[in-house]
Amino acid sequence: MKHAPRLAVVLTAIALALPGAAAADCYADYKAKRDRPLQLHYGVIALPPAACNPGAAGAEIARRIGADGWTLLNVMGIFGPEGLAQRQADAGRFFLRY
Amino acid sequence: MVAIVAILLGAAVLLFSSLPSADAFNARVERIFVENDDLTSQAEIKLLEILALSGTAFADTLSSYRVVIYVLMVFATLLLVAALAILVTLVTLNRRLAQVERAGIRVASLVIDREARKVYLNDLELSLTEAALETLAALAEARMDDDILSGVELEAVITGRPAADCDEAAGATRIKRLRDTLGNQLVSELLVRTVARRGYMLAIDKRVIRMT
Repeated sequence: MKHAPRLAVVLTAIALALPGAAAADCYADYKAKRDRPLQLHYGVIALPPAACNPGAAGAEIARRIGADGWTLLNVMGIFGPEGLAQRQADAGRFFLRY
Repeated sequence: MVAIVAILLGAAVLLFSSLPSADAFNARVERIFVENDDLTSQAEIKLLEILALSGTAFADTLSSYRVVIYVLMVFATLLLVAALAILVTLVTLNRRLAQVERAGIRVASLVIDREARKVYLNDLELSLTEAALETLAALAEARMDDDILSGVELEAVITGRPAADCDEAAGATRIKRLRDTLGNQLVSELLVRTVARRGYMLAIDKRVIRMT
């Protein structure tokens, strides 16, 4: 029972963290291109909670894929983890890559 | 001429500037990719990339043909210019010929040398038979008097017989023989002119005639 208060603190922390983790599970699918020669890809990317709105999502995705030379063409949609399964096959190697 | 060169330059500029570049094809493919939400599978994306590549290949081929097209255009223009020049020359020549036919041959000088049996027409030496020379001399003398000789009169002058004893056919034959001797259709037709119903005359300015 000496550990009970510490345990309680830990459990509360976890309880508090869980909703935060659920809020971080926002994903977006997007289309991007690279020039010379023209390459296209459709990908799925995980977004931090701050970027879960359409405006900020675009900037976030463009920054992350820009590191490899990709240019964002459009963000198709923002969804939660339930939409991951159906999009995995299409995204292929760009599924949660960036 | 300047207009043709200007048109050629304009066409060249148009040709070199308006050919589609590879980027035009790529931009179109991107647009198709973005606008169609259901083009997401990897196979479809691969096909779009192949589409873009074929567009690029086409643009490259076209640009290599650009030079060929330009050279052909230059040739065509040169041909056009040449054809125009020939046409203009033809028209001018026709007009001049018509002028010559109307005015008679432009004779600057006609020298009839009886002893040498030669005729110098514009310093062009023509050699005649005796009979032809007689006919020409008769016509020249008539011309200096502003006269036109009929076949009968011509025969009379040359043979010395009275006009009643001569016939038209003999005179016409002399004229024919003179024309044949002169040769060169144009000269003989224009020099020895037939005046309808009246006879024959030399179609030249009478002041240029000199008889020796």
